[in-house]
Amino acid sequence: MFQSASRRLGLVSRNLHKASNYGSLLHAARPLQISFARTVTDGLKDNAENKPQFDISLLEFIVCPLSKKTLRYDETTNELINDELGIAYPVIGGIPNMVPQDARLIRKDPEEKADPTKE
Amino acid sequence: MAAPLRTVTSKLLCRSSRILHARLRSQIVVSSPSCSTSVHRGYSVGSEDKSTHFGFETVPEGQKAEKVYKVFQSVAENYDVMNDAMSMGVHRLWKDSLLRIMNPQPGARLLDTAGGTGDISFRFLDYVRSQRGLQDRRAARSNQTLSWQQISDSYTSGEPDQGASRAVVCDINKEMLKVGKQRAEERGYSTGLSWVVGDAEELPIDDDQFDLYTIAFGIRNVTHIEKVLQEAYRVLKPGGRFMCLEFSKVSNPLLSSLYDAYSFQVIPVLGEIIAKDWKSYQYLVESIRRFSRPGNIQRHD
Repeated sequence: MFQSASRRLGLVSRNLHKASNYGSLLHAARPLQISFARTVTDGLKDNAENKPQFDISLLEFIVCPLSKKTLRYDETTNELINDELGIAYPVIGGIPNMVPQDARLIRKDPEEKADPTKE
Repeated sequence: MAAPLRTVTSKLLCRSSRILHARLRSQIVVSSPSCSTSVHRGYSVGSEDKSTHFGFETVPEGQKAEKVYKVFQSVAENYDVMNDAMSMGVHRLWKDSLLRIMNPQPGARLLDTAGGTGDISFRFLDYVRSQRGLQDRRAARSNQTLSWQQISDSYTSGEPDQGASRAVVCDINKEMLKVGKQRAEERGYSTGLSWVVGDAEELPIDDDQFDLYTIAFGIRNVTHIEKVLQEAYRVLKPGGRFMCLEFSKVSNPLLSSLYDAYSFQVIPVLGEIIAKDWKSYQYLVESIRRFSRPGNIQRHD
């Protein structure tokens, strides 16, 4: 999904490049067009970076470094969760950060104890 | 200049190949048996108020990781350029040699610890691809004149899992991985390559997962070598191989003085010019000096 998104992003920015090239032929409109193209691509890039892009297949062997137990990927927060210990490891730019010092402690819900995904 | 470095390489390689040829089953292979005893000792002794070395400085153990982190965070952007400048490109030959000794086959799974910007993993993927090409060509050639025996063999020995080679770059420094991931995208590596921020002393990896574990120019930067070895042992499959590439000492006194002069006079200057960071490269050469011969790993606890 991420690949196709980034490919699309590439396509869009290429088109915009083309547009700005053509734009350079029209002397009067040039500065305006270029600055427009830049803000559009910048915005798209930011969006793509914020999207969750975690490769689920990593969960086959990635475990919590503390308990060495399997983790659950939470798409909404883009984190890997250890429900038992209440730790959330962030995924930044598609790279999971599995250093406990960088992780977030999450409140343990009593309901979560009944969660079947929990070990 | 190239001479002392080459001496180091050959030493390094001798050792690596010794490691490999030992091929002990389900036992971490580090040259001296005393090392494994130090593993146990490291765990029984409380390590909170111990001190360790950071280059030539002595710092509390708790501070080393952070200091090393800052070094690599600040050099990440220029890391690859600096490696080429400092070693005059020779680091590429060392890494190529490591791969030749490793000789990974299609289907192998590698955990590239302290993998930083992915040099070892990229080579691994290239090597495996070329091996697969070789195998395919060989198979194609032998398939031209098959005997009945060979045909029946080909049915029984089908290995569907051959394509699933995987390299996982694990480094504690997210800046290095960010640069590495970018490099991978530029070079078109995508399948079979993953990036994970993780501590080699506390790997976020399940037991018995990998055929190969490498730590190239990384082990001297960790605080507790014994913990790293223990973790490597845990994540390797039985019969898996642990491979460590690290700087060594130059024993010839003449070469040694040349090597010292180069290390202390030239490398920090290069660091200042290219990466605008004298201190980090000062640490680099100091840490290399502090890290003694590979056989003496157990003395560093």
